[in-house]
Amino acid sequence: MKKVVVLMRKAPYGSVYTAEGFRSVMGIAIFEMDVVLVFVDDGVYALAKDQNPEKLDMQPLGEGFPMLPEFGVKGFYVHQPSLETRGLSVDDLVIDVELLDDASLAELLANRGTVLPF
Amino acid sequence: MKIGVMVLEGPYQHQAADSAYHFVKAALARGHEITGIFLFTDGVNVGNRFIKPPGERNISQMFDELGQQGIDIVACTACAKFRGMKRDLAVDNVRLSGLGALADMIQNSDRFITFGD
Repeated sequence: MKKVVVLMRKAPYGSVYTAEGFRSVMGIAIFEMDVVLVFVDDGVYALAKDQNPEKLDMQPLGEGFPMLPEFGVKGFYVHQPSLETRGLSVDDLVIDVELLDDASLAELLANRGTVLPF
Repeated sequence: MKIGVMVLEGPYQHQAADSAYHFVKAALARGHEITGIFLFTDGVNVGNRFIKPPGERNISQMFDELGQQGIDIVACTACAKFRGMKRDLAVDNVRLSGLGALADMIQNSDRFITFGD
C-alpha cells in the first residue's frame, strides 16, 4: 500500500489550497490508502481553534479535521518551528498532533514516499 | 519508472502547467511511463478547448496532444463544476472523474509529482 502525505503549506483562506488538501485527504483515505496530514509554514493555521471565516463567505475548515480519523486518516503532524514562529502552541489546535522538528519532518516525508503538497 | 503527475494551477497565470507538460515530455523521452495526469483545482482549466492565445503556445492543445499519445488525463469533476467547466468544453483527450482516479494514479505510480504554486 502506498504511504501518502498530504502536506498543508498555506493559510486556510487566502487560496483554495487548504480546502482542496482537506478534500483530497478524505478522497484518498476512503480508498483505503495509508494517508497522514503534515502541517508546515502557514499551513499550521488550518488547525487553529475558533476560526471565523464567515465574513469571507468561506466555510470554517478547522472543525473538519478532528473527524478525519473516522475516514481512516492515520496521523496528524505539525512542524514545531512553524507553529512557534507564529506564536501558537498545541493548546491552540483543534486536534492532538505529533510535533516534528526539521530533521524528523524530512525523515517522515522521505520515508512515506508520496507527498501531495497543497 | 511509472510516474504520475498532478497539476494544481490553471494555464498562463503560473508556470505549473507548462512545467508539468515539459516534465512529462522529458520523462517519456527517457523511456519512463506516465500513469496519468490529474488536473486538480484550477488545473482543470488546462483542458479548456476554447483556449486561443494569440501568438503564443496553446496549453490545452499541448495537453490534448499528450492525451493523443495515450496518456490518461483526468480533470476533477467537482473542481470542474466550481469553474463552469463541462465535458463538452474540454479538449477531446481530457476526461472528468473524481478523487478515486487520483488515488488510482498514486497507487499505480512509483513516483507522484505535483506542479502547483
